[in-house]
Amino acid sequence: MADSTPAVEIQNLVKEYKTSFRRSPLRAVDDVSLRIMPGEVYGLIGPNGSGKSTTMKALLGLVAPTSGQCSIFGKDSLKVDSRNDVGFLPENPYFYKHLSGVETLRFYGKLCGLKGKVLKQRVGDLLEMVDLEGAKDRRIGGYSKGMLQRIGLAQAMIQEPRLVILDEPTAGVDPVGSRDIRDLIMKLRERGITVFLCSHLLEQVQEVCDHVGIIFEGKMIREGKLDELIAIEDQTEIVIKDASPEMIQKISAMVGQSEGASVVRTGKPRTTLERLFLREIRKDES
Amino acid sequence: MSESQITTARGSHLSRISTIAIHTFTQLVRMKVFYFMAIFAVILIASNFFDLPQHSGPEAAGEHAIRMIKNWSTGPMTLFSVVLGVVATALLLPKDIEDRTLYTILAKPVPRFDYLAGKLLGVVLLLFVSLAIMDLLMVALLQFRVDMLIDQQTEVAKAMGWSAQEISALREETLANGVNASLHAAVFAIFLKATIMAALALLISTFSTSTLFTAVVGFLLFFIGHFQADAREIYMQSGQLGEGGIAKYGSLAFAMLVPDLQLFNVVDSITEGKVMPLMLMGKLTLVALYYLIFYTVASWFVFSDKEF
Repeated sequence: MADSTPAVEIQNLVKEYKTSFRRSPLRAVDDVSLRIMPGEVYGLIGPNGSGKSTTMKALLGLVAPTSGQCSIFGKDSLKVDSRNDVGFLPENPYFYKHLSGVETLRFYGKLCGLKGKVLKQRVGDLLEMVDLEGAKDRRIGGYSKGMLQRIGLAQAMIQEPRLVILDEPTAGVDPVGSRDIRDLIMKLRERGITVFLCSHLLEQVQEVCDHVGIIFEGKMIREGKLDELIAIEDQTEIVIKDASPEMIQKISAMVGQSEGASVVRTGKPRTTLERLFLREIRKDES
Repeated sequence: MSESQITTARGSHLSRISTIAIHTFTQLVRMKVFYFMAIFAVILIASNFFDLPQHSGPEAAGEHAIRMIKNWSTGPMTLFSVVLGVVATALLLPKDIEDRTLYTILAKPVPRFDYLAGKLLGVVLLLFVSLAIMDLLMVALLQFRVDMLIDQQTEVAKAMGWSAQEISALREETLANGVNASLHAAVFAIFLKATIMAALALLISTFSTSTLFTAVVGFLLFFIGHFQADAREIYMQSGQLGEGGIAKYGSLAFAMLVPDLQLFNVVDSITEGKVMPLMLMGKLTLVALYYLIFYTVASWFVFSDKEF
């Protein structure tokens, strides 16, 4: 039987910040509500300063809501035990530069109550998962941006949480690093882990998320299943391999004969610039 | 956000606090704070060369050098430990916030009290280890110097025709002036003083906006702490607050908020050869514990509602 308790539930969240220069407080989040069920990958998208990070911080108890409630697997976000089931990767994390990759994971593992063989095994598994076994003894200070994000993702996963919260996970990372992180997010989805991420890189969100919410000026303006939100209801797409010009002509003629239907566009589908870049890089490497 | 809501996070408070404390200690060690030990060693060796020839008899030969080693050791010990306690504590919290490492820690099942207590204990551990090493260096040099002095005194005394009994008495007296339990107690008093300053710096850093502000206010309070007892007495005697209750309780409240560091100035009398009573040692430990607990709980009170 599927778990019916939402992984994340935010109800009418309002967060206002006191400002020294304004009479009225700044409302960073304005009556936001959302629900993420276990196993979903939810993307909160919006421009910079729209309230994405504040929403995440409220969910993690790093800021207290002015009004409204946040819960993780039914537990109030303001309670420490709600964080047993959550891993968090902040935007541009630095971690402790004096620690090596393996020491970093051990530190976070111990904070979560792991020790001995269990901790050692978990650290080894995670280093393998994020492909940092070769750099595990290097100080974090010498890690690249992509490696930092990957070790960050590993620390978020250290206590095997059921929910992972990622704040701009691919911001500032090169295309290869960004691809790696998105592949990791997909691996998490395959393992049934709920992912809540926020980003303003829309194409990347579209690739990994099954649900999205659009936040603008602190308000949730649209929310739902990604497929439903972006589908153009009155159009149908057929992709044919090795189609001759004659076949295309025949299909176009057939469509023309049908009442009310018309061909909007024919042509070759394009690959993305990212796929082209990664293909060329890998070709060069091999 | 109140920590009273803490229920069942994984792992014990003790294991989390010790993890953060050991990490903080490692962090500070890797920031190369122990380099100051080299300066301390140089000061200690330099003090050895200040054996001024101002003795008039064998009983005074080299005594000045021993006092000099004690003074030159305990002075830098106080300076280094207080600076280390205030600056290290002032640095840790803002650095974690700036680097966002604090987010990753508080996003784990780590109560805010555990985080603060771990940070403070890490600094206290560093102070303890630093002072223990400095104490060892001082003891080694002092023992070496005392042995030299005894040989020197015995030689001079024999040449002056002292009896074996007199020479033995002089030897006992010189040994008592060298390494003794009171000298270690003096180092412990320095440790307690630095610990209080670290806890005070922790409290300031929970509402301060910069490391500089925390350090400046910390050192200001360090000086106020040394004069507050005298100032309170003078103020009370002048009658400016009037007689009776308000003046008395106001003065007491001030002493409870700002540390009375004058109590810990036992070092000078010990280097002069006086003995530290066990009772005084116990009293200083209790006073230090009071300030440590008071400042840590006050820090938690401020930090538990802080937003990041």
